[in-house]
Amino acid sequence: MILTPALELDGVSRHYPGSPPVRALDDVSLSILAGELTAIVGPSGSGKSTLMNVIGTLDRPTGGEVRIDGAATTTLTDAGLAGLRAARIGFVFQQFHLLEGASVVDNVAAGLLYRGVARRERRKLSTAALERVGLGHRLRHRPPQLSGGERQRVAIARAIVGEPAIILADEPTGNLDTATSASIMDLLTRLHTEGATILVITHEASIAARCHRQITMRDGHVIADAANTLEKTTA
Amino acid sequence: MSRTRTWKSKLRPADVLDAGLYGVGGRTGRSTLTAIGIAIGIAAIVAVFGISASSRADLLAQIDALGTNLLVVEAGNTLFGEESKLPIDSPAMVRRINPVLDATGVSLLRAEVQRNEYDTTPNGLSVLATETSLLDTIEGTLARGRFLDKDTSTLPTVVLGAIAAQRLGITDLTGTPTIVIDGERFAVIGILDPLTLHPDLDRSVLIGETAATEYLGFELYPTRIYARTSPQHVDDVTRVLGRTVNPGAPNEIEVSRPSDALEARAAVDQGLQRLLVGLGLVALTVGGVGVANVMVISVLERRSEIGLRRALGATRRHIGLQFIVEAATLTTIGGLTGITIGATITYLYAQRQGWTVSVPANIIAAAVATALLLGLVAGLYPAIRAATMNPADAVRPSG
Repeated sequence: MILTPALELDGVSRHYPGSPPVRALDDVSLSILAGELTAIVGPSGSGKSTLMNVIGTLDRPTGGEVRIDGAATTTLTDAGLAGLRAARIGFVFQQFHLLEGASVVDNVAAGLLYRGVARRERRKLSTAALERVGLGHRLRHRPPQLSGGERQRVAIARAIVGEPAIILADEPTGNLDTATSASIMDLLTRLHTEGATILVITHEASIAARCHRQITMRDGHVIADAANTLEKTTA
Repeated sequence: MSRTRTWKSKLRPADVLDAGLYGVGGRTGRSTLTAIGIAIGIAAIVAVFGISASSRADLLAQIDALGTNLLVVEAGNTLFGEESKLPIDSPAMVRRINPVLDATGVSLLRAEVQRNEYDTTPNGLSVLATETSLLDTIEGTLARGRFLDKDTSTLPTVVLGAIAAQRLGITDLTGTPTIVIDGERFAVIGILDPLTLHPDLDRSVLIGETAATEYLGFELYPTRIYARTSPQHVDDVTRVLGRTVNPGAPNEIEVSRPSDALEARAAVDQGLQRLLVGLGLVALTVGGVGVANVMVISVLERRSEIGLRRALGATRRHIGLQFIVEAATLTTIGGLTGITIGATITYLYAQRQGWTVSVPANIIAAAVATALLLGLVAGLYPAIRAATMNPADAVRPSG
């Protein structure tokens, strides 16, 4: 059970044509097991955003294979990838990407919108997810009425509401102050202990240190892959 | 290691609508401005058709009140100038024509009518023997008393036309007044109201057919038939009446009809109507282009929303559908507003002209369909742009 890979990258490349061509990702192989809390860390331009897009199936690799929850993605059609994202991947973005015109509960419910779940059921699961992230009292509010930290909690609730195989958090604390960042990391850590598989992409070493494994990227290559045993014991 | 497992994105129909409405509700001001163009175009078209339909309905009501569907069949002259009579069973034959609702034959009697035996002043009144259905056929009403029925038409009783009653000096029926026809006394049982369309009947004294033969000894031949037809078939009936009444000599039959009124009915000014509808269509086209324009801008502005929805599992089709529904919602709102405005204009105009208001249901249905179709067409290009947006670009922090 613990050895089931939630995500596997096998020789993945992403080259952009041009002169000279940009090798944003070059032969990246890695495997993330279910239940891991992993950070992909690297400076800007290291290829981690491209990696995030490729893992999230928002972008297709020019070479290699990405497997999500055991399913190969290169052979999937665009609609097939959309279905995979709807069912197996939860996204958390630096910009939160909330629907400003919709209530908090409907924003989280949108995480189940493209799975064909009925509205009543979506709202029920959404409320439960919001309670998990400590926002059970904010259901009827709209995103503009919330603080940055609260907005990111809404986004996290939206990512977990469908119980995906993997949660991809792209710079989840990039727009937040230090204290709020810490509380968001506390939340992600707690969700991890409750069983979620989380991949955090960050350029901040302090955020990466809160995860149990750090994959370091530079110039489109994985240059280090280390387990943080110290953090694991304190968690 | 890899399983052949696939997942399918699904968006419920109710949620398709919801997603489409999301963009409209979020930008009320802009949505209103966008819908105005459509509203003006639809309002113009609905008002043009509504006003012309109301005017037409009013004209028809006026003409119908005059009795366009009442035809009068008379015996004309023979080729030798003699007055011809209608065949004895011709009223029955006319009744057998399918669109004829009602027909009554009357026979003009060569008889003299006087107030009493001593009265000799000429009064210009005529005596008609009639079937009992006359009152219904000509849609006449009684000022006093009752009309001839199957009993009284066999008795020495008469009903007077309005002028006949006046000339004979009979204003009410108390004490059962009598008159004299060819020396025989007849009791007056009813007086008709004046008949605008039939002044000749106002000057007549009506007696039952049986009474005419029994008390006055006339051999009856119908001289005139009143026939009421369904309004749509007036022309058809007119065409066949001559042949029906007298197959041997149809040209000896004169059929009169309210042809003046019919001409008025056909004369509805089409030129102005076409011009106004044309202007409405121009407004609609401009409105549709406006919707497409605003939607294209909206797609660009909502890059991150599109990216988010793609990340949440929306397919290209789902995104395209959302924007199509959004455009169609805008134009439909515009269309419904336009119908309301157009109907209001029609109402006010008709009210001022004293017409009954008529906004045909098929015009409303066509207006809704036009607005909807316009939305689908106007939304197509923006929808394609939204659907083909690269999701990875769309979720990237802007700037």
